Amino acid sequence: MDISLSANDYAALAPLLILLLGGLALLLVQTFWEEESDRVAPLLTLATLIAAMFAAYQAPVSDNALLTPWLKFDHLSRFFTLFFLAVGVGITLLASPFFQTFQPSRGEFFFLLLSAIFGLILIGASADFLTLFIGIETLSLSLYVLCGYMKRWKFSAESSMKYFFMGSLAAAFLLYGIALVYGATGTTNFQALQLAPKDSVLFLAGVVFISFALAFEVAAVPFHFWAPDVYEGASTPVTAFMAIGTKVGAFAAFVRVFMETFHQFNPLWNNGIAVLAMITLIYANFVAMRQLEIRRFFAYSGISHAGFLLLPIAVGTPAAEDALLYYLVVYAIATIGAFGVISFLDNKTHGVDFSQIKGLFRRSPWLAAILSLCLLTLAGIPPTVGFFAKFYLFKVAYQAGYYALVIVALLTTILSAYYYLRMVALMFADTPEELAPPTKYFSPTLLVVASLAAIALFSFFPGLLHLAIE
Amino acid sequence: MTMLLCLFLFPLVFAALSTVVRFNKVVAFIFSLIPLAILLIGVESDVFYPWFKPLSINFHLHVDAISKVFLYLTALVIPFSILAVKRESRLFYPLVFALQGLLIGFFTARDLVLFTLFWEAIILPLFFIINIWGGEGRKSAAMKFLLYMIAGSALLVAAVLSVYLTKGTFDMDQLIQTVPAPWVAFIFFLAFAVKTPLFPFHAWLPDAYYEASTAGSILLAAILSKAGIYGFIRVGLELFPTYLAAWGPILLTLAIIGVFWGALVAWRQGDYKRLIAYSSFSHINFILAGLFVFYRTAEVGSVLQAFNHGITITALFLVAGWLERRLGSTSMAAGSGMAKYLPNLCWLTLFFVLSSIALPGMNNFIGELLILFGVFNLNKWLAAFLGLTVILSVVYMLRWMQRVYFEPATPFRPSYLDLNRKELLIALPLIALILWVGFYPSPLLQQIEPYGYFSQR
Repeated sequence: MDISLSANDYAALAPLLILLLGGLALLLVQTFWEEESDRVAPLLTLATLIAAMFAAYQAPVSDNALLTPWLKFDHLSRFFTLFFLAVGVGITLLASPFFQTFQPSRGEFFFLLLSAIFGLILIGASADFLTLFIGIETLSLSLYVLCGYMKRWKFSAESSMKYFFMGSLAAAFLLYGIALVYGATGTTNFQALQLAPKDSVLFLAGVVFISFALAFEVAAVPFHFWAPDVYEGASTPVTAFMAIGTKVGAFAAFVRVFMETFHQFNPLWNNGIAVLAMITLIYANFVAMRQLEIRRFFAYSGISHAGFLLLPIAVGTPAAEDALLYYLVVYAIATIGAFGVISFLDNKTHGVDFSQIKGLFRRSPWLAAILSLCLLTLAGIPPTVGFFAKFYLFKVAYQAGYYALVIVALLTTILSAYYYLRMVALMFADTPEELAPPTKYFSPTLLVVASLAAIALFSFFPGLLHLAIE
Repeated sequence: MTMLLCLFLFPLVFAALSTVVRFNKVVAFIFSLIPLAILLIGVESDVFYPWFKPLSINFHLHVDAISKVFLYLTALVIPFSILAVKRESRLFYPLVFALQGLLIGFFTARDLVLFTLFWEAIILPLFFIINIWGGEGRKSAAMKFLLYMIAGSALLVAAVLSVYLTKGTFDMDQLIQTVPAPWVAFIFFLAFAVKTPLFPFHAWLPDAYYEASTAGSILLAAILSKAGIYGFIRVGLELFPTYLAAWGPILLTLAIIGVFWGALVAWRQGDYKRLIAYSSFSHINFILAGLFVFYRTAEVGSVLQAFNHGITITALFLVAGWLERRLGSTSMAAGSGMAKYLPNLCWLTLFFVLSSIALPGMNNFIGELLILFGVFNLNKWLAAFLGLTVILSVVYMLRWMQRVYFEPATPFRPSYLDLNRKELLIALPLIALILWVGFYPSPLLQQIEPYGYFSQR
């Protein structure tokens, strides 16, 4: 067997390698040119991410026997790679006004961000449970530190600790589940597992553990308890990253494990996920109505979207996979746009209160308009592309016969429309006291304009986004 | 580019434009007339583009006899609502233009998903119009409006998907006279009933109509209610006629209760804006009653009456707005004997009131007569009973006239200035329309008649 890597294989791995080199370079910059790193680090991060995106776009398919048992080079992994890198670009743009306001050192922040994205890409491209686990751990370890990154904030330390304890528990569950599956089938490779018998008790027990761990990562109810506190305690860019990156990463794991490897192995599992989705939808939407602080609000809104995203997981058909990806992209664009607007207002340690966005339209009509558009998209109100994303999910679920689930999901959209639109209405309300207009920053402006353009484009041409996914 | 696509897209383009460039009232008014001009030039009947292939959604717009009536109504009413704006605001024009575009889309949509999309999308601009420019309690009124609307159509998506599964298409041309599960038809009818609103789904109406600004009330009463009626025709008569016929008696009963309920509550109001709101509710249920008797003449009358009601209620809310500006309140106790100080406004109001109570020679007379004719064929006594509401409407409307205009005059205040030339100019086209339909309805009736899905009786 040929055990050397050719140029082609290196090209296939290029996105990961570029991230690695970029991350190391960031550490060097932070160590040797500390004064410069404030200015250089974000630019270097952006350059790394964009170079990695370019590499991922061009990446050839590798068939080297050293790589293929661990990493997949299929269409889906390219999609996820590009997606996560784009999220990274968004978060980098978002982080700069935050650090202008709060000013801790920044070199290692971006290093941690890059390693988290590295982990995410591993999840998206995993061809083996071990790669998947390493991906999740790389992501989590970076996030534990990122959550506590604001060292002076008391609740940031709390957030970090909570996430660490709960996360290690979930990791233990995942590892235990993998061990049981290995015990039942003798392999951890996804391709081999597709053919392995899937009815032994040992195997099912393993699957239950794995499902628990992944449900924890997507913050589905009742595995969601960490999310609100962690989101609230972390700094806003990190919260945005968790709301998008972690969530999508966890769903990527769901896709790799349950939609591809254990495809329709037992209807009981699908029904279990359907029940989980229902509970998540009902609980999260009710609780989200009572939130008054943005980061916490987005924690619950994120949980409710996890509920919607569990619909196609429960369905598990190839069409459902398309619907899932479609929804993920729309959710990511709208969420990052919303966080982009919020980053303009973020000047207190405890985050942004609803009272701060009250009357935003008077102070800054464009920001208010963009935030409204993002919230309407998240609420799935036509004519935004959010409507199509939800419609797509419902169609797939309805065709597969999950009627009750669709009806619960539709009814909970009433609640979500209420809390999203309440926020929108707040922005257009009169303010009793005149607050100063928000500070202008360059990089998040870029971000919100990009998300505005994306939402507008996809609202008019919803088919375009589907083509991009295909 | 086709004319129909222009008709749909121009208002949306204006909406986008008016966020960037500041429009003044005159410019906005002229732009809002463009759809009317396009309609008068004539549009072709179909626009078809594949829109979202994996879901087999097509961008299919289609104009037929019925859509045209509602399109004309939209094209006529929106300019008036723009003229009714008190203080100009940067946000108002984008919202109104967006609403115009979405309504045109709704009244022409031929794909069931497109239909649903526009159906839900038209709520949003109206929500903001109530929320931003309304009266004291506008916030809660807007929220109530929104929640009713969304709750009413929450399950619509499930119903649409269920229809899709029966035939494998969203195209309404191929879904004609399908017989889906009863709950599917029920959900559609529920959505229409809430938006129109049919009795007893009207709890959002008084607050929303009352708290909205004049422009907002006009949009709600003249157009939004027609969206529900249009839905009953388009989906009820075309797609699920079996269910509409089967549930006809129940729906008819509800509509007739609504007619009386609205009229009686209007009678008891001490506030003329609320009075107009309830009278509108009563008249709309009258239109629905005409649809639910399954008699061709009554159905034609209902469509005609939908148009008439849109024009008349626009006029009533306009004059009520003008009166409010002078009295400083919408309470009937705010002033009386206004005929002395505001004679022109008094006569103008009286004219529109007479139109509303269906005086012969006015537009509503024709429509209500056709509906009563249809009901008479179903049941003589029911027609006689329904005819009573015409008397009731005379009672509550003239009570308003008497209280505010004709009782002994309150002392003069400087705000009591009679109609200026601009206001008279605005009222003139409405008067002309009312008289035109009242004396010479046949062009409009000829426009409605060819519609192919009216009942055969």
